[in-house]
Amino acid sequence: MSPNFNIDRPRITDEEIKKHQNFTELVERFKQQSLKQARGDESWWKNKKIRYSTVIAGVTIICTITYFSLFKNQVKETKTNETLITQSPSPKQNKETKTAFINAPSTKLKTPYSTYKVNNAKGGNITHSTSSTIKVPKNSFVDKSGKDIVGDVTIEYKEFHDVGDLITSGIPMAYDSAGTKYNLETAGMFDIRGSQDGEPVFIKADKKLEVELASANAERKFNQYYLDTLERNWRYIQKDHAKLSALNAANPVLAKVPKATNSKMAAMKNEIEKNIPKKIDSVKVIYTTRAERLPRPKEPAKPVESTLGKPVFKLDGSYDDFPELAAFNNVIFEVGPENKNYNKELHNVTWSDVKVTQGPVKGKNYLLTLSYRSRSEKLVVYPVLSGDDFDKAEKIYEKKLESYQALIDKRSAEEKKLMAEMQSKQLAYLAEQKKKQEAYDQEKALLFAKYNVAEQNALASNFNNMSIQVKATRLFEVSKFGIYNSDCPHPVAEGSSLIPIFMSAEKKAIVHPQFTYLVDHTNKTVYNLDKSNGFTINYKPGNSYSVCLFLQDKMYFCNKAMFTETINSINKTFTVEQIKEDASNLVDFKKAIEI
Amino acid sequence: MAINPHFHHTNQQLTEELIIIEAAKLNPEKFAPLYDKYYKQIFNYVYQRMESKDTAFDITGQVFLKALTNLQKYQFKGVPFASWLYRIAHNEVMQLFRTQKDKRCVNADIGDLRYICEENEEPFFEEYIPVIKKLILNLSGDDLQMVELRFFEKRPFKEIAEILEITEVNAKVRMYRIIEKLKKSLSKIKV
Repeated sequence: MSPNFNIDRPRITDEEIKKHQNFTELVERFKQQSLKQARGDESWWKNKKIRYSTVIAGVTIICTITYFSLFKNQVKETKTNETLITQSPSPKQNKETKTAFINAPSTKLKTPYSTYKVNNAKGGNITHSTSSTIKVPKNSFVDKSGKDIVGDVTIEYKEFHDVGDLITSGIPMAYDSAGTKYNLETAGMFDIRGSQDGEPVFIKADKKLEVELASANAERKFNQYYLDTLERNWRYIQKDHAKLSALNAANPVLAKVPKATNSKMAAMKNEIEKNIPKKIDSVKVIYTTRAERLPRPKEPAKPVESTLGKPVFKLDGSYDDFPELAAFNNVIFEVGPENKNYNKELHNVTWSDVKVTQGPVKGKNYLLTLSYRSRSEKLVVYPVLSGDDFDKAEKIYEKKLESYQALIDKRSAEEKKLMAEMQSKQLAYLAEQKKKQEAYDQEKALLFAKYNVAEQNALASNFNNMSIQVKATRLFEVSKFGIYNSDCPHPVAEGSSLIPIFMSAEKKAIVHPQFTYLVDHTNKTVYNLDKSNGFTINYKPGNSYSVCLFLQDKMYFCNKAMFTETINSINKTFTVEQIKEDASNLVDFKKAIEI
Repeated sequence: MAINPHFHHTNQQLTEELIIIEAAKLNPEKFAPLYDKYYKQIFNYVYQRMESKDTAFDITGQVFLKALTNLQKYQFKGVPFASWLYRIAHNEVMQLFRTQKDKRCVNADIGDLRYICEENEEPFFEEYIPVIKKLILNLSGDDLQMVELRFFEKRPFKEIAEILEITEVNAKVRMYRIIEKLKKSLSKIKV
């Protein structure tokens, strides 16, 4: 059957088309369809053939598994009747779980475990490089069949102290407590493992290792947790008690300094070296943001008078795409001298299509395209005005220029005012810093006067390293190998939420990361964002955040200022900068992400 | 030939579209700007090929639903997102015609028919209209689509190639053959 051929059929009006345009309905249909599809996956079960085949296959698998497990148990029973004393999973099981649950984002940044040997019969004390200690009682280890280990046991040990360590470890910091979601801030975390000749060993049920973890955080708000990789959640152990005096006692010089003096000095140093510089920086950030927000007036376009004798084209139509032209009445287009293809004959053709587009010099000239059938001519033209139209336009331009100049002056005055405000605030902070430094020096001098020269040197070194030194120790009782953490749970931010788009600053291309981490600098915690949710970011306005992305072994970073700027923008596109290739060790990585 | 400007996008426009697409892949609500931008174009494309306005609206809805469903598979090829939508629309329309041939119709303006004659370097007279209509309807299904896309809708070859999933060269060759065919038939009218 031949189709109908309509000539000049009436068109459907835009209003009618718009009436049928319903995006909400489309999204609803899409959601329903997705739900149906999800349910549809179950409908295969209704197919008899598939159902019977599946049942048969299932029965076969169950029989096979049962047969092999029975056979395996029989072999085991002939070897030993002893039962397994500890409940730790085998390293193979552990590894399998870890690949799914603990996922390090970069192979380059993986730090090795420190290994130590301990004789099982003798036990011993291990001192880690951070001054943490591991106390191993005598006869603490058994093998998988529960027999005491004979000889040396290899202890593998690794610590994590800050956000950089947490990101590179791939250990999730999400914590679900009876359905309430938290994210953990760490005061120190460690992973401890034991083996002999490559075979895993276990801690006896009645024995416990003692790990005295060196911590850079002396606060008392933390709890102890154990990472249950099978449950995929942290398990609360007990309240953590930081021991502040332990290290000071170990240091003979510091031991002499009263605790109150020591913490007072630390607080003063922190104020001078961290808090005040931060305030100075924030004043500058505020100034830049405010200055950026000041309105930028647009310079009006200057009318040009037509040159007598030069060819022009007069066009009818609207200049909606070029508001600078729409401002003038009766604008005409003068043919530029650069057009070698121009001849008078062009004025005699009845062109079927005429287009005006942006010319080689934006705002100055335009490209006029004249078409008829297959013929097409392109001319660079300049918008000009003639006679009265030019005079009128010039008057309008002068008025506009005046108000433009006034706006420019106003902006410049505002900028100057903001700058003066910023400088006076910064000067005030600098004066405060100087005053505090003097007070600190005075306090230090008074303190030093009480001690001899050697003790004074030890004190000076201690004060210089105050910001990085271990401030407390935290005691853990380890009854099975695994990951232990001293943590403070923070409720997951519920203020605002967005699905981010990441755009690389260098290539201006969209980045599809494999891993995305949101660093909450206010709560010193890191969120491993869920890829299946489009890396949805939940954040609390007012908190300080940055984002770190991993794509294969490439790393990208969006700093705090950029993050704040993006969440306040309309398109929520995060510009991320690639972290240099040479930042391939943990120290460089931490520097790059401002930790 | 005046070219349909919808197919021409600046790099900035393409990037903006791409940002929306990537956002919509994660959240369907973000698809709204593309829906608003292309709804009319896609409807006109569909309606141009059938009698029933209601069916055309249904098919247009279906096109956008399919686009949203398959958005994860969308790959940017340096052309506007519209070309992907047109391809879906083309497939939907063809699917309908396979089962309900009576739905198919051809729509053109007199100017379009005049243009065909001019392209074939033949004069155009109103008396020719029934014959030209017959000539066009006698074309094979594929050739008829080419005529609609090129002569009635004035689409560039690059876009035609995108819609029909063929190469641009192939589109040009096919068009050349159709013109030759029409030329032969049109010269017979004169005689």
